[in-house]
Amino acid sequence: MRHTDDADRNGPGDGAVVRAVLAGEVDQFGVLVRRYRDRYARYATHLLGSVELAEDAVQDAFVRAYERLDQCRDPDNFAGWFFLILRNRCFAERRRLARQVPVLEDIGASLPASGSTDAAVERAELRSAVQQALLALTAEQREVFVLRHVEQLSYDEIAARTGETVGALKMRMHRGYDRLRTLLREHWR
Amino acid sequence: MSDTLDPQVKRVLDGEADIAALPPALRAEAEAAFRVLAAVDCTPVSFSGTFDARVMAAVRARAARHGLWRRAAAWLVAPREVRVVVRPWMAGALAAAAVLAVLVARPTPETTATRVATTGIDSVAVRFVLRAPAAHAVAVAGTFNQWDATATPLVPSEGGLWTATLVLPRGEHQYAFVVDGADWLPDPAAPAVDDGFGRRNSVLTVTPGRAL
Repeated sequence: MRHTDDADRNGPGDGAVVRAVLAGEVDQFGVLVRRYRDRYARYATHLLGSVELAEDAVQDAFVRAYERLDQCRDPDNFAGWFFLILRNRCFAERRRLARQVPVLEDIGASLPASGSTDAAVERAELRSAVQQALLALTAEQREVFVLRHVEQLSYDEIAARTGETVGALKMRMHRGYDRLRTLLREHWR
Repeated sequence: MSDTLDPQVKRVLDGEADIAALPPALRAEAEAAFRVLAAVDCTPVSFSGTFDARVMAAVRARAARHGLWRRAAAWLVAPREVRVVVRPWMAGALAAAAVLAVLVARPTPETTATRVATTGIDSVAVRFVLRAPAAHAVAVAGTFNQWDATATPLVPSEGGLWTATLVLPRGEHQYAFVVDGADWLPDPAAPAVDDGFGRRNSVLTVTPGRAL
């Protein structure tokens, strides 16, 4: 059974957990897994367009983080360090997928049941169209869109997480808006 | 309908301007954009119930493998007595091998982390030196102190030199200097590796005979 995030947050800080793992208490790494898997599940799912791909990416990122844990310069900021590992993994996966068949799995939208109202049908169609349009953005545009409009982070917070400048992030976002507007021309009214 | 969204509408979508301040035509465009943004799926995502168990199984497997490697490496570098008997017919071949070894040997680059004493079979005292005349504080952080930027401060001396001596176990260590608590600098005179996130870590290899 999974522990809740709240239960884990009441435990030792990330720095103490990281130091315990480095000292040989391997099972303590599970505290970090429980603490951060849900936080980054949605980010990876939106970036990769598939829950299954996201699950693989987050798992790989955790294992890679364990293997390189002695390179974590600031154990108290394990979450920020882990985010960069996951981000690299997701971008690599996007590059790999770009050479294959485009990913167009619908991660959240579902078709309305028969008998639904016109408004419900329209909402479902818009939701599906938006999901597919997001998948057509570049990985960089999509990431800043997800962090800004799904995770509700400010540009300053996104800059702190990714190491990018606020100006570069805004430029990506604004090009993403233009691309979405073109792709969703029928719904943009 | 143009191909690009008006910059004023983009600022509203970014939360940096109020939609009420837009002229009516742009306000309609912003409202259409907000309808699209509202259709983005923001529901939380949960992975399968076996996720934690799979991650930890992979982590434990790697921990066990690393343990085997550590034992194998310790066995390989453990000092052993080796006796060699040189037969007269081997002398020519050994002389040729010695000449070849001199020709291909490369000088070791001068580094600021140098061995100062062999303290035991498994550890060596290493002195870290950085010239930083303008610095107010310098520390060294690395794999040997869990990258703690405060654990190992260097002591200032004449000429802007900062030094610290540490006893390190045999093996490879990565490190960087931390100047004034904020600037992470790789050792300018030591080999370095990418840490995978755009920064450079210096590499120090400690053996019983020499460091680096």
